[in-house]
This record gives sequence, C-alpha cells and structure tokens, in this order.
Amino acid sequence: MQAFSVMFYRQVLRFFRARARVVAMIVNPLIWLLFFGLGWSRVFQSPMARMIFGGVDYLTFLAPGIFAMTLFSQSFIGGVSVIWDKQFGFLKEILVAPAPRSASIAGRIVGDATLVTLQGLVVLLLTFPLAHALRPAGLLPSLFLGFLMALAFAGLGTALALKMESLEGFQMFMMILILPLTFLSGAIYPIAAMPGWMQALAYANPLTYAVDGARHYLVGEAAARFSLALDWGLLLLLGLGFLLLAVLAFRRATLEG
Amino acid sequence: MQPAILAEGLKKRFGPVEAVRGVSFAVRPGEIFAFLGPNGAGKTTTVHMLTTLLRPSAGRAEVAGFDVVRAPTEVRRRIGVVFQDPSLDRELTARENLYIHGRIYGLGGAALRAKIDEVLDLVELRAAADQPVKQFSGGMRRRLELARALVHRPRVLFLDEPTLGLDPQTRAHVWDYIRRMKAEAGLTLFLTTHYMDEAEQLADRVAIIDRGTIVALGTVAELVRRIGGELLYLRLEGGAGCRPLPGVQSCRELPDGRLLLEVEDAASALPRVLEALLAAGIRAREVTLRRPTLNDVFIRLTGRELRDELTRPGATAWMRRR
Repeated sequence: MQAFSVMFYRQVLRFFRARARVVAMIVNPLIWLLFFGLGWSRVFQSPMARMIFGGVDYLTFLAPGIFAMTLFSQSFIGGVSVIWDKQFGFLKEILVAPAPRSASIAGRIVGDATLVTLQGLVVLLLTFPLAHALRPAGLLPSLFLGFLMALAFAGLGTALALKMESLEGFQMFMMILILPLTFLSGAIYPIAAMPGWMQALAYANPLTYAVDGARHYLVGEAAARFSLALDWGLLLLLGLGFLLLAVLAFRRATLEG
Repeated sequence: MQPAILAEGLKKRFGPVEAVRGVSFAVRPGEIFAFLGPNGAGKTTTVHMLTTLLRPSAGRAEVAGFDVVRAPTEVRRRIGVVFQDPSLDRELTARENLYIHGRIYGLGGAALRAKIDEVLDLVELRAAADQPVKQFSGGMRRRLELARALVHRPRVLFLDEPTLGLDPQTRAHVWDYIRRMKAEAGLTLFLTTHYMDEAEQLADRVAIIDRGTIVALGTVAELVRRIGGELLYLRLEGGAGCRPLPGVQSCRELPDGRLLLEVEDAASALPRVLEALLAAGIRAREVTLRRPTLNDVFIRLTGRELRDELTRPGATAWMRRR
C-alpha cells in the first residue's frame, strides 16, 4: 500500500512541478469553449438548432463535451510519463524494488486519474460563467464519472507506453486516437445527427458514455442519449479493466521489453 | 560462511547472441568484488541477472542467500543497485528522490528522514538536497544514486560502472564514498568496471571477464603475480618485431607497434636487451619500464588490451600513485 501512495504522491509532485502543463490544461479547453463554442453558438441560435442540441444553446451542449474531452486526452497523454521514465531510467528503480509492482503502477495511474479529474473541476468552474444553463448540482457526479473515464484512459495509455520504446511511437498513437475519438463521442455534435456508420463507431467509443453521463448531470436528462446505468456501468468496467491491463503489463515487464 | 553472492554456470542468451556464457563465482560477505572487463564483456548483463531484472537462460544465482529467480522479492529487499545509466527522477529534488525510494522500500517517518540526511551527508549533497536533480552535474547525480542505494540499508550493493563518464577528481571522490560505504558494517559490494585502476583501487578480489566468461579470478596481487616478472615496452626503429633476446621470457607485438617484453628484473634486463638489439643493428626509439598491472594480465589472458590506458584521463594519476 505504501508503494501505491508514494507513486500517487510522485505523480502529484511531478504535476505541480510542470507549470507549463498546468497552464496548458486550463487554456486548451477554454480555447475550445470560447473560440469554437462561442462562435458556433451564434450560428446555432434558431429554434431548430436548439432542438438538435437537446433544447439548450450550443455552448451548454458543448460544455460537458469539452469537460469529458479534457479528461480523456489528458489522462491518455499521462502515459507519456512512463516513456520518460523508461528513457530517464527511473523505471528500473521501480523494477528492482521489492514493492509489489501492481501497487506501484496502480498508484501512478490512480494518481494521474485524480489529477486529471481536478483539471476537469477547474475547467467546469471556468465554464459555468460562460454557459449559464449548466446545473451546478451536476458538478459532483460528473467529476466521479469523469474519474472513471480518466482511470480507463490513464490505464490504457500506461499499458501502451509500457510496450513502447519511443516517444514518437506513443505520439503517433495519440494522434491516431485522440481526434477521432473526440469527434466520435458526441462531444461536439449530437450522435443523432451522425450517419449510421458513424453512430456505430460512436457506440464503441468509451468517451461517448462519459460525454453522455456528464451531459445528463450538467444539462439534464433530455440532453442525454443513454441511461445513467449504462454510462456508469460501462465506464466502471472500462476503468477497472484498463487498470488491470496496465497492472498485468507492468507485472510482466522486464528489461528485455 | 554463506556467500553474499553465489553464481553457478550463469548464462544469458539474447536471441543468437550469448552475452554471458556460464560464469561461476562466490562473493564473500563484506568484500568488494569487481568484475573487470571491456565493454560488451557481459558485465551489465550479469548485474541485471543478479539484481532480478533479467532471467538467466541457464545456471543459477543466489544473492544474500536467496535464489534470484525463485525468490526475487527477498533478493530485492536486500540489495541496493546503482545502474550504469541514470535512474533518478530528474524533475524532483534530491531529497524527494530519496524519500520516494525509502517509501517504496517500506520505510517512513522520522527514521526515513534521519536516514536521508545521513546518506546526503555521506555523499556531501546536503546543501543541494532541495534542488531539482535536473540542475545537478553528472558527478552529483552519481553521488545521489549512491546515496539512494543505501537508504534502505541493503546487505549487498551493486555498482555498475560507478565512475563511467566522470572526470578524474569526481572519480576519486566516488572511490572515497565507496570505501566509506564498505566501512559500513556487513555491506558487500559488487562492482563492474572497465577501468583497471578502479578495480585495483577498490576491489578485494577481481574477476576478469571477457566475451561472457571469467578468464581469471583472484586478488589484484594474485592476478598480477601471474605475469611473473616486470615489463618493458620498446619501440624499435623501422617497426622491427619480436626476436629472441637475452633474459626475455616472452615478447608480444602491440597494436600500436610497440613490443611488450616480460623480463625477470627490468633494471638488469634492459641494458642486455638494448645491447643485443644494437648488435643486430636495431636501435630502440622509445623504452618504457613498468611493473605489471591488471591490464597486462588482461593482455596475457586475451591477447587484447583492456583499454588503451595511456590515452585515458586518470591513468597518469594512477601512475603517480605507484
């Protein structure tokens, strides 16, 4: 348990040491909300458009999507730190330690997921003044749901990074995954508006359920597509599943690759 | 007495390459044991097997009484490792690195804080304790790694090329720290190096390793005694090669064109050798007289130089000490 807590602690220390990352994580979602959201919300002012977006203005529709997107991309990118640890050798320090490997890798993933959830909180707090229709009561459950998704993608990112030698390889994965998964999540436009084949992809996208759940809590039931039980169930399953995947990958890790 | 490290027929194969081809040795508790050999000899691979990071392809090894394959956690609890490549968290301070290490090894509280100060003092890094490691020089980082490996009071300490890439002053410092660590009761040190002076300075016993096998093992004095006498290096005019000479036990042509002669007593052999050469019409352009070193042992055993020691910084310092 000590290995878990200390690896959690290390992620926290490293996070607050990297000031540029802290700034970027706040600025990036704000850019989306302001320059993308505000711009389009002027275009989508007709009653028709409001109907498409579940009866709310576009910025309100978009806000939970940006929240979920931030958690998703930040938690997935967290896997990069494993590559750094490989390149700077810190991973060997962990591999040669007597502490259970499952505890140390889980500590780092849960640490990442927690930090990312805190980022989500900051983003939401900054969003409320912009999108007035958001429900403050939805904040807490959205954060918990977001934490599960962050756990899933931090786990997936870590498991991938453990298998990879180079930063370039991981960056390629990020490029291939982050944008399409974002577009296919219903974060930016409703799933109902997608063509059938795109909808099928959206259903297979874990991010979809985090966006949906957050929208349920922050905007209202009418704006959501799935039941809360489905959102929670899937994200819980994925969170624990990918965490387990990373734990298994790390347990088997040796210097041979 | 149970050995601190025991290796029996240890082998490691990477695909078609056999990096370690069956090494056997026993390290006594409390001694400094050095693996001396050129790059690629299998030193680091052996360390990785002994420290449970690589699984041996064949053979077995015990460290601190536990099998490295069957009881890796028990072994890990009892060893400290300073890897050849850095393994610090550069974003964190020295103290944070030590703290995290201590916590991973199950320590905590006031005992850990006291131990951290103690090891920081040992390697004289107390003043820099709260600076991020990325601001540290190469020497400071190596010292911090040494300190970190001691935090959890290991029984056996592995140092893989502890002074690789360090300048001569820093090397001398690190040697001092290593001697001080040995003074800590019960600590056994296993170090690898390709610097023969490092092995001579630090090791109680040396295993010379080349191409994955141990070619000689003993104290430095024992190994050097194998050469028998003393050594003459000659550079002859016209690059003349080996020939029968009075009082010379053996002759070898070195890659740099010099001849390496083994003689009983260099002081008395030298005039006779030069006379005999002159009689044959060959003049010597350069003569160096030296007592044998581990490098000569290595040449004798493998036919190659361990390293061109005369081009290495620190070699001159070593010669002055003699």
